[in-house]
Amino acid sequence: MASYFGLEKLFKAAKIIKHHGGIRGALYQLYRVDDLKVGTLVGEDARGNKYYEDPKLMLGRNRWVVYHPSVGTDYDGSMIPAEWFGWLHHKTDKPPTVEAPVSYQWLSGHEENTSGTEKAFMPYSTTKPKIEAWVPPKKQ
Amino acid sequence: MASTRTIRAAARQVKPILSVDQGEARKRVLNLYKAWYRQIPYILIDYDFPKSKEQCREKLREEFEKHRHVQDIRVIDMLVIKGQMELKETVEIWKQKHGLMAYWRDSVDPKPKDFLSKFLDGHD
Amino acid sequence: MEFLLINHPLDCPICDQGGECDLQDQSMAFGSDRSRFLDNKRAVEDKNIGPLVKTVMTRCIHCTRCVRFASEIAGVEDLGTTGRGSDMQIGTYVEKMLMSELSGNVIDLCPVGALTSKPYAFTARPWEIRRTDSVDVLDAVGSNIVVNHRTGEVLRVLPMTNEEINEEWLSDKSRFAIDGLKRQRLIHPMVKDSAGELRPCEWEDALIVAGKALKAANGSVAAVAGGLADAESLIALKDMVNKLGGESVCTEEIFPDAGTGTDLRSSYLLNTKIVGVEEADLVLFVGTNPRFEAALFNARVRKAWVHNELDVAMIGPKVNLTYDYEHLGDDVNIVNSLLDGSHPFSERLAAAKKPMIVVGTNALSRGDGGALHAQLVKLSQKLRSGCEGEWRVLNVLQQVASQVAALDLGYTPGVADIRNNPPKVLFLLGADEGAITREDLPKDTIIIYQGHHGDHGATIADVVLPGAAYTEKTATYVNMEGRAQQTKAALVPPGMARVDWKIIRALSEIVGATLPYDTLNEVRHRMAEVSPNLVRYGDVEEANYFAQASALAELVKGNFDAAPLDVPLKKLEDYYMTNSITRASPTMAKCIAAVKKEASNKFVG
Repeated sequence: MASYFGLEKLFKAAKIIKHHGGIRGALYQLYRVDDLKVGTLVGEDARGNKYYEDPKLMLGRNRWVVYHPSVGTDYDGSMIPAEWFGWLHHKTDKPPTVEAPVSYQWLSGHEENTSGTEKAFMPYSTTKPKIEAWVPPKKQ
Repeated sequence: MASTRTIRAAARQVKPILSVDQGEARKRVLNLYKAWYRQIPYILIDYDFPKSKEQCREKLREEFEKHRHVQDIRVIDMLVIKGQMELKETVEIWKQKHGLMAYWRDSVDPKPKDFLSKFLDGHD
Repeated sequence: MEFLLINHPLDCPICDQGGECDLQDQSMAFGSDRSRFLDNKRAVEDKNIGPLVKTVMTRCIHCTRCVRFASEIAGVEDLGTTGRGSDMQIGTYVEKMLMSELSGNVIDLCPVGALTSKPYAFTARPWEIRRTDSVDVLDAVGSNIVVNHRTGEVLRVLPMTNEEINEEWLSDKSRFAIDGLKRQRLIHPMVKDSAGELRPCEWEDALIVAGKALKAANGSVAAVAGGLADAESLIALKDMVNKLGGESVCTEEIFPDAGTGTDLRSSYLLNTKIVGVEEADLVLFVGTNPRFEAALFNARVRKAWVHNELDVAMIGPKVNLTYDYEHLGDDVNIVNSLLDGSHPFSERLAAAKKPMIVVGTNALSRGDGGALHAQLVKLSQKLRSGCEGEWRVLNVLQQVASQVAALDLGYTPGVADIRNNPPKVLFLLGADEGAITREDLPKDTIIIYQGHHGDHGATIADVVLPGAAYTEKTATYVNMEGRAQQTKAALVPPGMARVDWKIIRALSEIVGATLPYDTLNEVRHRMAEVSPNLVRYGDVEEANYFAQASALAELVKGNFDAAPLDVPLKKLEDYYMTNSITRASPTMAKCIAAVKKEASNKFVG
């Protein structure tokens, strides 16, 4: 009956909205992620990014990440650590929660791309300046 | 009178480039001007740069007026040839947008003239 | 040629003398292209003779020019030879430093690469260097120099022959202090922010801040010129301050104002000129140590002492002048007894045909400087009656390069005027000797400093305007004889720094008292209006009116202080740092450290 009137679409929409925390939360999610999807939470990485999966969706859209709320809209693909990257891009079907990634002592932690931020690397001259400028003495 | 005769004598000695007299030179100039004038709408379509048809015509006039004082027909011929070359480059899109915009010299700052602006500019 | 090369290494490619080596030239012209020498070459250990001269003794060809220079011209018996034949070595006998203020000249003298410049080692080749003829301003002698520069840096300074001033020599300070031009430089204008810290800013901001202060001062403006200021900036500064209504334009260096003061040029110049020493038969130094105040003048005195049997006497501290002299004591009252003829030395003075009295500015900057100057003017005038022709007796040995030009342009010597009437705005033009400090002025006085080094002046300033050093501007300097000479711009001023007179000209326009000159020629025209000798480059404009000066000196009353005459530059370590450029120079600091260390050398008594 409900399917006859296409009401299940409405039910589904209501369910999604409810999942995202009401109209307000859904609108914010739409604004932040440009998408409203409901999936099963597969895991979470060290930064607090959440990874979801919904196998009903087509390949390429069935795994996604919702970045930690603290970054707002200022998120970037490079925030995803290597172990989750593989799962997210279908290199593997086993998320790191199922199969823990190999760990070596020499591996450094994941770092996001800092371009465009204060911490961005700027090439600098290593030659000494020809003229050394006078620096005024600091006041005591 | 005597001076015009000497000029004429001198003009006869040198080999003309294209035109043999002022009239012919004038005709060449006008032809070039017309060619440019008619081409302007198509140039605007091809290049898509932020100037209107009127501004382009004004600039065209200005470029020709720049050489109004030229009397020597050989110089006029030379300028006409250069103008034709320029026109061909433009029509064939051998130039780029900024090459045409250079006619307006919008981004060129005038050189400082008085002492203080020269000082602040670092020109000695 | 082959004999010379027997004991000379073939290391021209790694030798600093390469390209300006006499032996290399000879070898190129006359030498064989292959060697017939099959034996082993001689090797000689290098000697450490101080931080200025690098030795590679294997290259030495035993010409002994350095030995002769040290003992005959510099007057230090430090260098000599030991051994005979192929075992001969040039050296200092024991391990010690070449303790002379003229030691750098042995680098020029050495025909090969045995003695080369230590700070310049492996820096550049002579053919890739640009050369600009200029004038040295680190003392008041005005030695002619060639500034060697490349890629925006001064690499070295060499003397240029001028028989009337420096002959072919150059003092160590002038030659080696140039690395001070690369340190502690002011390269952008600075203004004090609300927290009281100097912050770099644009020229426009600095000029507007300075201009506002000058306008608000409402005529209560004063200026102090330091020892490295050029005549162009001096005239521009004086014109601007006067236009704004200020009257105190002073020099940092003190000179007595009593009697004729600085009205007559003859009372502050070295009137006999530097070459005059070679004609003189008696020199009396009063309160000066010419060896370190004017090293090349002292070399000239020594030359006359060696060749002309010149007699030298001294009133002042007992110092080593590199030649013998009669020490009359360090009491000022000796001058009085010389004047009234009661001193035993006055007979010799009177008998002299061409006597010179050389008084130092240290003696004249004392409280009784006016009285001393007056007495000396009288004494000189008295001695002139016994002299031949137009011989001038009175000589003043200036110590800083700007002083004569400043006095010619009508600056007031000494900053006493500013201490007594503190202005609202004080303009310091390279005044770095600390003659005036923050404590001398009320709290709300705004200090504008213009100069090329961050030193005392910039530290106390509210606005800092970066100027050009002497290698970076074409400017006029007048040496102690009154000889106008010009420096030539070898480089451009670093960073945002500008040529000094232009800064003052620009500032005057901001204040609204525009100075009527826009080009260097117009400034010099204005200088000529004030004092025409300033643009007669290379010439000495002779100063006269000794009789009138003497008559006016009669009016000067005042007694001598009891304190003995003293000079600040007594020993070699005092010589190296005397102004903002030398104080910034690492080489000069190394020299001082080396000379101090030499005091504990166990080989030297």
